[in-house]
Amino acid sequence: MAVKFRDYYEVLGVPRAAPAADIKRAYRQLARKHHPDLQPGAEREKAAERFKEINEAYEVLSDPDKRAKYDALGANWKSGMDFTPPPGAAGRGGEASSVEDFDEVSDFFASLFGRAGARAGRRGVRVTMPGHDVEAELPVTLDDLLRGGKRRIQIGEGKSLDVEIPPGVRDGVVLRLAGQGGPGTNGGPPGDAYLHVRLVPHPRYRVTGDDLEMDLTIWPWQAVLGAEVRVDTPDGAVTLTVPAGTQNARRLRLRGRGLPRADGTRGDLYAAVRIVVPERPSGAERDAYEALRRAAAAPADRPAGA
Amino acid sequence: MRIRHRPWLSPPVVRARLQGERWLSRDELATAAGITRERLERLIHLGLVEPAGGGPEEFTAEALLRLQRMLRLNADLGVNLIGAAIIADLLERLDRLEAELARRRGSGP
Repeated sequence: MAVKFRDYYEVLGVPRAAPAADIKRAYRQLARKHHPDLQPGAEREKAAERFKEINEAYEVLSDPDKRAKYDALGANWKSGMDFTPPPGAAGRGGEASSVEDFDEVSDFFASLFGRAGARAGRRGVRVTMPGHDVEAELPVTLDDLLRGGKRRIQIGEGKSLDVEIPPGVRDGVVLRLAGQGGPGTNGGPPGDAYLHVRLVPHPRYRVTGDDLEMDLTIWPWQAVLGAEVRVDTPDGAVTLTVPAGTQNARRLRLRGRGLPRADGTRGDLYAAVRIVVPERPSGAERDAYEALRRAAAAPADRPAGA
Repeated sequence: MRIRHRPWLSPPVVRARLQGERWLSRDELATAAGITRERLERLIHLGLVEPAGGGPEEFTAEALLRLQRMLRLNADLGVNLIGAAIIADLLERLDRLEAELARRRGSGP
């Protein structure tokens, strides 16, 4: 079986003659730089691959026996060359290994040190291994948060889940599905699936905690004189009273029309007032504004309220 | 929960109920994180793992992922657990800020 040669010295960036202390230092530096937990979400998977390579290289070069066996292959091998292991190299059971993801060692590693040997752990016995945990994003809509919903999502390869979204979840909440991760090894228990709830932004409503907020555009005269306006809410259209003298950016509260809470109550819906002026006033409107300017007590050449 | 294999419709679809999956007990948390109950007790005592919600026996899945992350940082990088807890806090803050930034970029003017 031909596999691709891996240059472990190249992976760690150390010369072949490097003393153990240098190898350890190089590993620590690379591990810190490429640790998947320290990467932003989008780069985590790529970093995980690199981190595995680094660990595999360190696993071999930090162990005097493994390093000697690897060095015995000679210095002429280059990364990616087709490699056929010397007879009797692989499969020596009971090789100690601290590589954590035993499924994930490269074929090259397995051809030299044995996959079964790596899997068997330190005592050389068949150990049961729990399956991998899997993580996935669960995109939800505002409607899902309000009323619950169903979503079919892909996790890992070749498996999808029909998920019932309980009403009352929030953006950022993690839902755990025990036993829905990868299958275990040698009869070990399956891993778990973790779903990160991500709220798909709604064009109209913003979410803050249990509350919703929407913009409410009104005309200047509605703000001054007060008005009854019909507005759409997630529960349907309602009539909202804009009090006389409403300032811009004031938030009008519609109690109990926000997101459902665990105790059965609901948050509030806020309508944030945004006063818009007519861009093309009619002749009559323009006359009315001219009359308003003449009638206004405040000076026309200073900012309002100054 | 039941796996339904439908050969004509791959991949298999699993029906999952999330209700009741949100809280973990101490035993469930220790098992899921792969540590002993005693070690978990010490971490709780040190305030590195905190119960959330209604009672002292209730842990969120977020707390579990945070604990797993701390244990990985501890095992892989040799960071002690208090240091790992600080890193986990900072990473959570970074995640929130990145999400907020993405939201503002997406919906901003």
